Amino acid sequence: MRQQLTWFATATRCALIEHARNRFAMVLVALFLPAWVSLIHLAIPHAPVPFRLAATGELLTPHGNELTQISGALNAVCMITGFMMFAAAFASGRFDRRLAMAGYPRTHLALAKLAALALISIGVVAYATAAIWAWTPPRQPLLVATALFSAAMTYGALGVTFGSLLNKEVEGMFAIMMISVVDIVLQNPLISSGADSPFVPYLPVYGAVQAATAGAFSTSTPLRGLGIQLAWFTAVAAIALVAFHRRTRNALPPTATAELPGPPPQSRSRSG
Amino acid sequence: MRVRDVHHSYRRRVVLRGISIELQPGVLAGIVGENGAGKSTLLKILSGELRPDRGTVHHGGRIGYCPQEVVLNDSLTVRQHLEFFKTAFGLADLRRAEEIMETLNFAAYLDERAGVLSGGTRQKLNLTLALMHDPQVLLLDEPYQGFDWDTYQRFWELATKLRDAGRSVLTVSHLAHDAERLDELWQLREGVLDAHTGTSE
Repeated sequence: MRQQLTWFATATRCALIEHARNRFAMVLVALFLPAWVSLIHLAIPHAPVPFRLAATGELLTPHGNELTQISGALNAVCMITGFMMFAAAFASGRFDRRLAMAGYPRTHLALAKLAALALISIGVVAYATAAIWAWTPPRQPLLVATALFSAAMTYGALGVTFGSLLNKEVEGMFAIMMISVVDIVLQNPLISSGADSPFVPYLPVYGAVQAATAGAFSTSTPLRGLGIQLAWFTAVAAIALVAFHRRTRNALPPTATAELPGPPPQSRSRSG
Repeated sequence: MRVRDVHHSYRRRVVLRGISIELQPGVLAGIVGENGAGKSTLLKILSGELRPDRGTVHHGGRIGYCPQEVVLNDSLTVRQHLEFFKTAFGLADLRRAEEIMETLNFAAYLDERAGVLSGGTRQKLNLTLALMHDPQVLLLDEPYQGFDWDTYQRFWELATKLRDAGRSVLTVSHLAHDAERLDELWQLREGVLDAHTGTSE
């Protein structure tokens, strides 16, 4: 048990150190997030945008800028966690493999990445919720934060997937940015007349958009929206896990490298 | 370590055409070959990083693999690397790693981040991570790239000491100028391993 904890704690600590060294992401969080939310509040027209929230069936009429603030914050947290996780997964791909081949349990390495993602998401989402609150206090701040968190986790897992699969850094950055723009823009009734099209519910953060919008402008709690987002996160995280697993696998039998020093040599074999 | 009839190709380009090696304990061996001869591919297969198309690899114990391309995490310090790999290898302490660092003369960089180290110092850390768990079989892919002359000499002293302690050491290089230091020397040419002609042994 103690060994399990050491594996998990050491890997999590190193993952967090790595993220903390990502200065650009830190600047994005500190400056871009509040600036983006504020700019949206000031630049987008105030005119009410009547629309029916699919998750609850309610007719809501929030101000255009307040509605877009929620979209903007979602977009920002998704891109930040996606970018951070991608950058870390991309940079440490071979290093993770080396650790795994040295005997580090891959489950603990993967769990540590997840723990780091969760901690980062909590921090970024708390900050984003505060930025929204500074302009427009949400009706249910906790629901808004939970929705933002579930979206951030989904894009973080997407970042790990791309970091493990793509060969060029620019590809991953571009992929995350484009997916998040398409995902969010199509769901904003102010921008997209197709926000209620049958295609929209299949977008990656549809559940989070529904829950966050309800949290900001209504008193109902669309658990279904959070459930859909949880399903998206689980699916993307499973793909990320498979990608990570494939990238760090050892062609030799696991026991050949996981030995502790001291035991007498044993013959190990493999057929190729 | 016993290697039997290893074949490998990248799509249509055949790199290894039936490699067999027998590496006894207490032997310091070398493989030379031109650029692109398949030396690194062979070492990747021996270390378990790559699965061969055909053939078998038998290992008699712990493996230490020093890849040609330095594999470090630029965000972590030297000390954090050592701690991370200490956990991976399940070591009780870092005594051996510290000894290697003293030998390679880079103990002063313990709290420096890998990303700011010079090429030679990065390679020293790369090598230390491969040796710190006292492996029985050492697979070293051009392990002295970027070393100054003094460190280069110290590296060979270290390799010889490991051989004398009963470890099997296999080092790969594109030059044969270390031939006199080796017990066995093979040449990888056109995917086949031959005894190197002109070896001093």
